[in-house]
Amino acid sequence: MAQRGHGTRRVWLPAAFLGAFALVILGRLVQLQVIQHGAYARQTREEQTADATFYARRGSILDRNGNVLAASVDTWNVYVSGRTWRAPERSGPASQQLASLIRMDPVALRAMVAGKNGDVLVARDVDYATGNAIAAAEIPGVVLLPDSKRVTPEGDVGASVLGLTGLDNTGLAGIELSHNGELLGKPGQAVYERDTTGDPIPFGRSVVEEPQPGQDLVLTIDRYLQQMAEQKLDAAVKEHRAQGGSVIMMDPHTGEILALASSPGLKYSSLDLSDRKQVELLKNRAVTDLYEPGSVMKVVTAAAAIDQGLVTPDTSYVDTGEIRLYDVTIKNWDDRVYGVQTMTGVLQNSINTGAVFMVEKLGQPLFHKYLDAFGFGRTTGIDLSGEAEGIIRKPGDEHLDPPWSPVDLATQSFGQSISVTPIQMLSAIAACINGGLLMKPHLVAATIDGRGVRHDIAPTVEGRVISEQTSATIRMMLEKVVNPGWPDPMQPRNYTAGGKSGTANVPVASGYDDRQIASFVEFAPTDNPRLIVLVKLDQNQDLLTGRVAAAPVAAAILDDALNYLNVLPSDVNKQVRR
Amino acid sequence: MAAINQPYGQRRSLPVPVRLPGFNGWVLAAIVIAGLAAMLPVLQNSTATSRGFDVQRLQNEQTRINGDIRLLEADVAQLTSLPRIQRRAAEIGLGPAETPIYVTIDEPGPAPAKIPAEYLPGPAPKTDEPESWLHSLLKWVRLGQ
Repeated sequence: MAQRGHGTRRVWLPAAFLGAFALVILGRLVQLQVIQHGAYARQTREEQTADATFYARRGSILDRNGNVLAASVDTWNVYVSGRTWRAPERSGPASQQLASLIRMDPVALRAMVAGKNGDVLVARDVDYATGNAIAAAEIPGVVLLPDSKRVTPEGDVGASVLGLTGLDNTGLAGIELSHNGELLGKPGQAVYERDTTGDPIPFGRSVVEEPQPGQDLVLTIDRYLQQMAEQKLDAAVKEHRAQGGSVIMMDPHTGEILALASSPGLKYSSLDLSDRKQVELLKNRAVTDLYEPGSVMKVVTAAAAIDQGLVTPDTSYVDTGEIRLYDVTIKNWDDRVYGVQTMTGVLQNSINTGAVFMVEKLGQPLFHKYLDAFGFGRTTGIDLSGEAEGIIRKPGDEHLDPPWSPVDLATQSFGQSISVTPIQMLSAIAACINGGLLMKPHLVAATIDGRGVRHDIAPTVEGRVISEQTSATIRMMLEKVVNPGWPDPMQPRNYTAGGKSGTANVPVASGYDDRQIASFVEFAPTDNPRLIVLVKLDQNQDLLTGRVAAAPVAAAILDDALNYLNVLPSDVNKQVRR
Repeated sequence: MAAINQPYGQRRSLPVPVRLPGFNGWVLAAIVIAGLAAMLPVLQNSTATSRGFDVQRLQNEQTRINGDIRLLEADVAQLTSLPRIQRRAAEIGLGPAETPIYVTIDEPGPAPAKIPAEYLPGPAPKTDEPESWLHSLLKWVRLGQ
């Protein structure tokens, strides 16, 4: 019995010790695997897995006929491991091999990497085929990372509209910036298991989210018309020794911009963003720069007065060559005295006193109400960034220096004391001749999503500004401006047209200086306008008026553009019926 | 004691217990099933590995083909660009008409320009007829090969 009791203790003591030890182990296991499970699991995941971002393909930009204006192609960025190339016996042959593929000097290549431990970027945006050749060569220490770059098959055509993208594939200017959200797409995310060296373990990779490619944009721009606008603008700027200018072609019924050229403008072929002057070119001057439109504004004044029934095209008044308002004398642009004139004659001869005659009948509140309705003083909403609102001097505006006076109302009637953008002016005149509707100018006709489905963007009517009858009357009056009864360079060869010139001096703090801006707005054919064009020349050194300098350019553009758009000539004798 | 007195020649042999393993069909089937069950994960792993290789290879191939497609699209765009067409037209002596003659033809005009094919959705993938349960079973038995 005594032996049995002693044996029991010998069993119990180790058993108790081992049991306690097992309990400690068990407790620790519970702590690690149950209580702290989440923390350790997360730590493990962080150590064993890595993630990578796959950038989505940036959408292409097409013109209205589906021609590619900008598209993305895959490229490679080539990195070299400084650590791997530290040994000369390795860097020598490797640099020779790599340099021959990327067309660099091997010595310069080695110098770029020398003394650096990490990966050094030695070539950016290497074309896809070359990258594949580098990968196949398996050069020691060379790492390739995928990237993409923008290509513009049409060269510099439309560059100021398209804009450009940065190294991170994000839009910096133009359509690339204003529609960056649609073009960019959604990057994908991949999570993969990695080994102790950080390299992905085969089959451990699992894509969490596939990248969604960006949408393609179909612009309202026509590449042929855009090229034509740019060429004719450049020629006019050169001929008249102007500092720059703008040409805009628009469908007056829909607000679709068919061409938008600015000079000086962005050119991919000579782009150097380290040059401050070239950075200035990133803005599109047709929507960002303000100018006083001059006599083109008389069309708006006449439209308002006729729409209110205050005048008709045949209403007459006596022009004495000048009007005295308070202590200011307003004269005609050519200092002439025209005598008895109708409202049509006011537009034909661009008589300042006639515009003042109409605005006095309208009065300030009504005239400014029409200016608001025509879209002056606010952005048009065109899909380009940096659009200016314009400035209208109005009574009660405390920020004006000098303060508003009734003389401002008179000068606004012929396009002074008011600043507009070219796109605002064109939209307003389009509303005058398209039946009276203010259309929102736009550059994007449709988007094409990742599944290839096209989503058309309908034209936007901002509102009715004048009646259809008034619009028809204005068309008739403007036709008489372009066709006074004798041949004139303002007239297109094959189409009936209407239009109005404007020549305004550049305002400075003390008034106006000798620099001028010459412009002309013209549409054709007059019975059913298909196209309206604005030509503006900034500070032309020959000091020719808009009628002489800009109008022939507009007429030539209308002739060529309507011919290209298969619009039959207005003169039936030029048609042959089969 | 009686046994001792028994004559040698008349001694009766004791029955030897024979414990040969019974060739029982159920047991055999159980062994085969257990063997197959053990083999199944091995085969599955092997197939998964093989498929993994294939998937990775095809993904790389797809990436390469997509890159090639984008390059070809860019090439097509370059070849149909306005400057190139104009250069080629000039080479063969074509230029803008100075005094165009307009002929009105009482026929419908050409169809409006279309978006290039590369920007339109591809043909819808063919949906195969649903497999019979027997075919599915056979495929499963062959581990999908």
